[in-house]
Amino acid sequence: MEGGWRSLITFRGAERRGTMMMLGILSFIIVLVLWWGAAALKLLPPQYLPSPGAVVVRFYDLLVKYGFIGDIGISIFRVWTAFLISAAMAIPFGIMMSSFPIVNGMSQSLIDFIRYLPVPALVPLTIIWLGIGEASKIALLWLGTFFQLVLLVADDARRVPREYIEIGLTTGAKPRHILGSIVLPAMLPSMVDNLRITLGWCWTYLIIAEIVAADSGIGYVIMSARRYVKTDEVMAGILAIGIIGLATDQAIRWLHRRWFIYLT
Amino acid sequence: MAHFLEIDHVTKTFAVNGAAGIHVIDDVSMQVAEGEVVVFLGPSGCGKSTLMRMVGGLETPTSGRIMLEGREVKGPDRQKGMVFQSYSSFPWLKVIDNVRFGLKFRSDLSAKEKDRIARHYLQMVGLSEFEDYWVNRISGGMRQRVAIARTFAAGPDILLMDEPFGALDAQNREFLQLQLRGLCLKERKTVIFVTHDVEEAAFLADRIFVFSARPAKILEEIAICDLLPQSRDLQLRESDTFFRLRNRILGLTRTQALRSEQLEVKGP
Ligand SMILES: Nc1ncnc2c1ncn2[C@@H]1O[C@H](COP(=O)(O)OP(=O)(O)OP(=O)(O)O)[C@@H](O)[C@H]1O
Ligand SMILES: [Mg+2]
Repeated sequence: MEGGWRSLITFRGAERRGTMMMLGILSFIIVLVLWWGAAALKLLPPQYLPSPGAVVVRFYDLLVKYGFIGDIGISIFRVWTAFLISAAMAIPFGIMMSSFPIVNGMSQSLIDFIRYLPVPALVPLTIIWLGIGEASKIALLWLGTFFQLVLLVADDARRVPREYIEIGLTTGAKPRHILGSIVLPAMLPSMVDNLRITLGWCWTYLIIAEIVAADSGIGYVIMSARRYVKTDEVMAGILAIGIIGLATDQAIRWLHRRWFIYLT
Repeated sequence: MAHFLEIDHVTKTFAVNGAAGIHVIDDVSMQVAEGEVVVFLGPSGCGKSTLMRMVGGLETPTSGRIMLEGREVKGPDRQKGMVFQSYSSFPWLKVIDNVRFGLKFRSDLSAKEKDRIARHYLQMVGLSEFEDYWVNRISGGMRQRVAIARTFAAGPDILLMDEPFGALDAQNREFLQLQLRGLCLKERKTVIFVTHDVEEAAFLADRIFVFSARPAKILEEIAICDLLPQSRDLQLRESDTFFRLRNRILGLTRTQALRSEQLEVKGP
């Protein structure tokens, strides 16, 4: 065990999964204790900093009495719909960009232009075009993620070693065989990582969309709570997003380890 | 009579930033007979890989042409198999599937037949026991044997190997050279093998082409098959004949290595 402790403070020391998980839990506990301590000592009035207990109670109330579960559901639905549409378009498009100079040349600058537009700046446009229904929120999320994801996917595909492609060419593979049997499996591990990160951005844009114009969803709940300075409710909303994010991330990491077992 | 492989006054210049750039191959001509093991030996950066890649159809000559079995080489295909030094096999496939990959795109064979061929070559390189391993979990030497098995299984007319043992330790190299030499004799494969290791060249080759520093010209052609027996073993490596041969080639290459060093210093 002594060696285990030493490796934790060794430069680029070995990481053990169990230990890393314990450290993760420990970091949460530390934050909770600090928060709880600050609230108990009334460093700030409760309107500004409710105690962890109050937030948890509020969270429970919201779920059980005020149909918060429905808001969580609709937010998850928006995020995943937009994310899946983005991914389904960006993956083939990005691979085409890496495969054919014409596609790359035609889209690179355009994508860079759109990519740098801040998503909040596009909110008015999506509302004018699509109203304040589901379509405009999904469109906003799509705008925020598609153009980023295309470039990430194209880079993943470009990083496939030239040797792999040439093994294909010298075993009689046609371009479509090379894409399906070599490029895709070779880029998959890093692409799944990029998808995971993009899914995180989806949540950022979702909350923007829901805060600006919505009558449901986690962002809407947070925003209406703010109006009445119900800080515990605001924090309960934030807590919900955090929990969902943490759970999704852990699930995808777990899948990553299972699918790409050959990497270790 | 037409030769099996004919490299005919080939030159290669790589364009750098659009401008006429690095002159890599300078008017190289050679003929290779079917079943011959030919080694390209030359200082680092001289253009050996480039010349071999042109034979494989992965680069095009700036001038001159390359004829394989009477047809001009226009691009890569199944007739010209390649073994690389790194990234030589696919990590997402198990050992046996890597070997099968060599036959994946052939529609003239049944799945059963492909499987039989793949297993045959896996056995030839002595890896049958490891067929269910991921390639990242076997040693570097074994990985190169997987690549060799895959390339043999694909049944190319010519095998192009670019320093396939370059990253291995001395013992592994010796063992793989022995195994490869045996395999080539048995299968009567035409092979081009690129290396800058003189002993490796002498042990494997029927004929060695010694190249100059960049731009690569043929400095000397050594018919090893007249000096060493066809089938070679580890005893041969310790013999006086082999030792003298090695020293002779080493003398030839040493002056070139010096020149290429100076080239690097003065180079762009
Ligand atoms: N695609 C390319 N574009 C521009 N220059 C290139 C290209 N490929 C190779 N070269 C240059 O051509 C020269 C010869 O390269 P090559 O890889 O054929 O040498 P080599 O003899 O195989 O060297 P090594 O022993 O290091 O593998 C090098 O100077 C290299 O930088
Ligand atoms: Mg080389």
